[in-house]
Amino acid sequence: MSFDEGFDVIVIGAGHAGCEAASASARLGAKTALITINLDTIGQMSCNPAIGGIAKGHLVREIDALGGIMGRIIDRTGIQFRLLNQSRGPAVQSPRAQADRAAYRIEMRRTLEATDNLHLRQGQVVDLIVKKERVRGVEMQDGRRLFAKAVVVATGTFLNGLIHTGRRTYQAGRAGEPASVEFAEGLKRLGFPVGRLKTGTPPRLDGRTINWEIFEPQPADERPTPFSFATDKIDQPQINCFIGYTTEAVHKAILSNISESPLYSGKIKGIGPRYCPSIEDKVVKFADKNRHQLFLEPEGYYTNEVYLNGFSTSLPPDLQQKLVRMIPGLEQVNIIRPGYAIEYDYIDPRELTPYLETIRLKGLFFAGQINGTTGYEEAGCQGLMAGINAALQVQERDGLRLRREESYIGVLIDDLIKHGVDEPYRIFTSRAEFRLALRHDNADARLSPYGRNIGLLGDSEWERFNQRRDRLAHLKNILESTRLKRSHPAYLPTVQTLGTDLGSSITLAQLALRPKASLGLIQQLLLKEASAEISVTDLESVLADLLYSGYIDAQRANYERLYNHDGLRIPRDFSFRSVNGLATEMVERLERACPESFGQARRIPGLTPTALSTLLIHLTLQ
Amino acid sequence: MPVKDTIVALATPPGRSGIGVIRLSGSRSLEISRHLIQDENFVPAPNRATLKKLSDPITGEILDYALLTYFKSPHSFTGEDIVELSCHGSPVLLRHLIDLLLSLDARLAGPGEFTLRALANGRLNLSQAEAIRDLINAQTQAAVKQATRQLGGELSALLQPLKDLLLDIIVPLESSLEFVEDDLPDIVVSQFQAKLSTLINHIEQIASTFTTGRLIRDGLKVTLMGRPNVGKSSVFNRLLGVDRAIVTSAPGTTRDSLSEAINIQGAPVFLTDTAGLRISADLIENLGVERTRRAVADSDLIIVVLDGSEPRNLQDYEVFNEVAHNNYLIAVNKSDLETFKEIELEQKSKETIPIINISAKTGEGFDSLRDAILEPFATSEVSNSGLLITDARHFDLLRRTQSALRSSADLLEERASEELVLIGLYDALRFLGEITGETTTEDILSQIFATFCIGK
Repeated sequence: MSFDEGFDVIVIGAGHAGCEAASASARLGAKTALITINLDTIGQMSCNPAIGGIAKGHLVREIDALGGIMGRIIDRTGIQFRLLNQSRGPAVQSPRAQADRAAYRIEMRRTLEATDNLHLRQGQVVDLIVKKERVRGVEMQDGRRLFAKAVVVATGTFLNGLIHTGRRTYQAGRAGEPASVEFAEGLKRLGFPVGRLKTGTPPRLDGRTINWEIFEPQPADERPTPFSFATDKIDQPQINCFIGYTTEAVHKAILSNISESPLYSGKIKGIGPRYCPSIEDKVVKFADKNRHQLFLEPEGYYTNEVYLNGFSTSLPPDLQQKLVRMIPGLEQVNIIRPGYAIEYDYIDPRELTPYLETIRLKGLFFAGQINGTTGYEEAGCQGLMAGINAALQVQERDGLRLRREESYIGVLIDDLIKHGVDEPYRIFTSRAEFRLALRHDNADARLSPYGRNIGLLGDSEWERFNQRRDRLAHLKNILESTRLKRSHPAYLPTVQTLGTDLGSSITLAQLALRPKASLGLIQQLLLKEASAEISVTDLESVLADLLYSGYIDAQRANYERLYNHDGLRIPRDFSFRSVNGLATEMVERLERACPESFGQARRIPGLTPTALSTLLIHLTLQ
Repeated sequence: MPVKDTIVALATPPGRSGIGVIRLSGSRSLEISRHLIQDENFVPAPNRATLKKLSDPITGEILDYALLTYFKSPHSFTGEDIVELSCHGSPVLLRHLIDLLLSLDARLAGPGEFTLRALANGRLNLSQAEAIRDLINAQTQAAVKQATRQLGGELSALLQPLKDLLLDIIVPLESSLEFVEDDLPDIVVSQFQAKLSTLINHIEQIASTFTTGRLIRDGLKVTLMGRPNVGKSSVFNRLLGVDRAIVTSAPGTTRDSLSEAINIQGAPVFLTDTAGLRISADLIENLGVERTRRAVADSDLIIVVLDGSEPRNLQDYEVFNEVAHNNYLIAVNKSDLETFKEIELEQKSKETIPIINISAKTGEGFDSLRDAILEPFATSEVSNSGLLITDARHFDLLRRTQSALRSSADLLEERASEELVLIGLYDALRFLGEITGETTTEDILSQIFATFCIGK
């Protein structure tokens, strides 16, 4: 076999998964190629120009903690930062930021180009080169053949991508970009089980034609919360987003034209996400709602383009124009890009190992939307893990696998490879059994040691991590050893604020757990005691630890009691087939998932309680 | 315990009877049976009884004529091949047949092993297996009814609406957390508190049936105490005389105490007569005293028998001392005698101790005595009541559910953040799921999306 170029790792696709994969792989020392159909769309946000959100923000911080790049990129290019759920507990707070879409792309490309060992290549991959159940490289449309020891496929929505607007359908990977058809067919030929999913996007509007006065402004946070642990402050100017609503007239108009919607006319076969429904879906399923919320999201400092969030649609463009002009404040609006729905191939993620390598072919890794997920953050974390594991494999080192109990990344990958997907998978905090332990602000404590271990976290990052860890430990110490005594001048005012007696003396740590004990209060009391400057961020983290530790311990104990067989090991060579009484379907699910313990088996979906009892008995009878 | 061999056991209870059923389960059941019926080519149709001659495989001696029924795997109780031989109920014969089967390479089944195999082969789930156990152990009609109900999944059906109510609370709380940017209706805390209260009460109701349920399943343990010659044995015999249970004497019968199972209005009662409480230098007598003390400790109810025809003496007071910390009632015997005097309790005794005048000789007062014994069974119609929790495992899970719900209610009261309130709610869901089947995150998400229009 002859090759034009040779690499350790090839990453196909420069979307959010691909960029993370390529960056990580290269920084781990593997000679990495990032192949993209179009170099100018590296790091392109296909849909919402925003990063983060509930649970998604957690993913970005975890990516950063491990040594990924998404956090830094958004910190530099975010134009409206908001920490969500501020009125709720820290475990469910999550950062979010609107991005300047163009700036994000440029910053992403700049970062990649500055990365050693990383080689950008433009071109379209049409096939994998496979020999003896191992991937050997890729074949390009223009005839080039590139050799690689490992390949990460991060093709997003491009595989057999089909765009629908109204009655028109055409092949595309994204608006204005070609679909990847040959490659999709190539994957099918290799035997991968392929399904169809769909997603949609709303129209983009010309900001000059919007009557901004009508809309309710949503400002950025006064103190933006950065995503990256390396970012101290967000400096760039922040903008407002705006909130508006549809009306019943709009709904009526949509309903009377519902047959024009490809989804409702049956043209679209793929399954869309329930939590990002098109406006047609919303109006049909929630007919009693007289208005639906919309967000106007400016796409950058230097553009008029505005993203109309909440109005995803595949109705014909002329109808879209009419409909949006029925929205209060948008009577004069011009659509500069119509919304559309896109259908695409995905591959059953149960084909993957926990390292995101395919079971079918050695050296082949899948990451991102191809695995049935939706969202840049979901894609990014998979890209990071796939890139890491591809490089580690090439270097003949042990792979990295994260557990559910310690990270959302672990939850996501575990859910994918165990459950597969019925609809585009999006991360939610409720997917994590231990969400109290998985806070966005303790991502570094949970994951940075792994990043350092594999070599993705450099010296300065590791130093920063250690300093933070020490500061937090020190602060916790102070809180636990400093007592507020009755004799102290601050005692009475504190009692008054809390409305309850505090005994003869109480540690600040205990005080912090009382209802109504605010951060400000603790801060004040601390200032009198400790001499060093205490950052609010640090204090928040330590207080969150204190708040949740009791609950987390109780939860773990509960889990152990309920699931006390979970630790029961399943021997590697255990034959599920030989277990009498397991239905064929159960055997198949078990063999696919390959659980190492009863606990893992228990979480395989579709496994009935009867099957589990049967398995348990056989394991204990061993 | 190897799972591959063929096991054999007597399926009917030991003792003389019309029929004795020997059951074989395992891959070699049919093969082994063929040796016993001396027909190598016997291929029975499943689920049909065939009359067969059983002979000693070596001597050829005819042992019995039996009805042989073959159940073909997997459509049998254990999921394996089963052969059942319905023979004549002579214990000697049955023993001999089993010995022969053992010599033909079957193995004697351990206790519950058939049920274990049924479980292992997925023919039963845990709840059903427990119900079978209860069914087998059922002492009375009422208990049989209970066990049959559980086998039919009634408990799950009872808990399902509670689970739904719980989801009703979880879904909006979870949504408000997860979809904070969406236009969802505000959380009205008082509404949730009300729902939570309702839920806690419902579960309390069900859990509280356990006391009665357990009594129905395990029986009320009643012990007769009293000094010698008060007529304990007569009282014992009279209580026994009319009512007899299905099973005869309980294990653990000793020289010093006698236990019998009786049936009072459908409720099983284990009645134990005890030796006297004589503190003595004699070691053997003191051993008897020890046993008595243990019986007392195990009892749900003590009947202190007094001789109403004589004044109290020191020994009577010793008895009272002994039972001071127990639940007891007083039966004043010999009401038929002229010297019988109603007793008066000292002021230090509690008002609530029932005192019943009886005559073991004439039977007077025994209806009242039986009623008094039944008092701990909260309901008056024990044999017709609704589903009761009889299983300690279920009771434990319901109690944990309650505790989890209460902690959530407390947090809700404090206006704690939703993720804290949800902890107890999710725990409760898991505990209930142990009985009825799990509710997954996917189920919850499905319900959220069906209820609320999410979509930013």
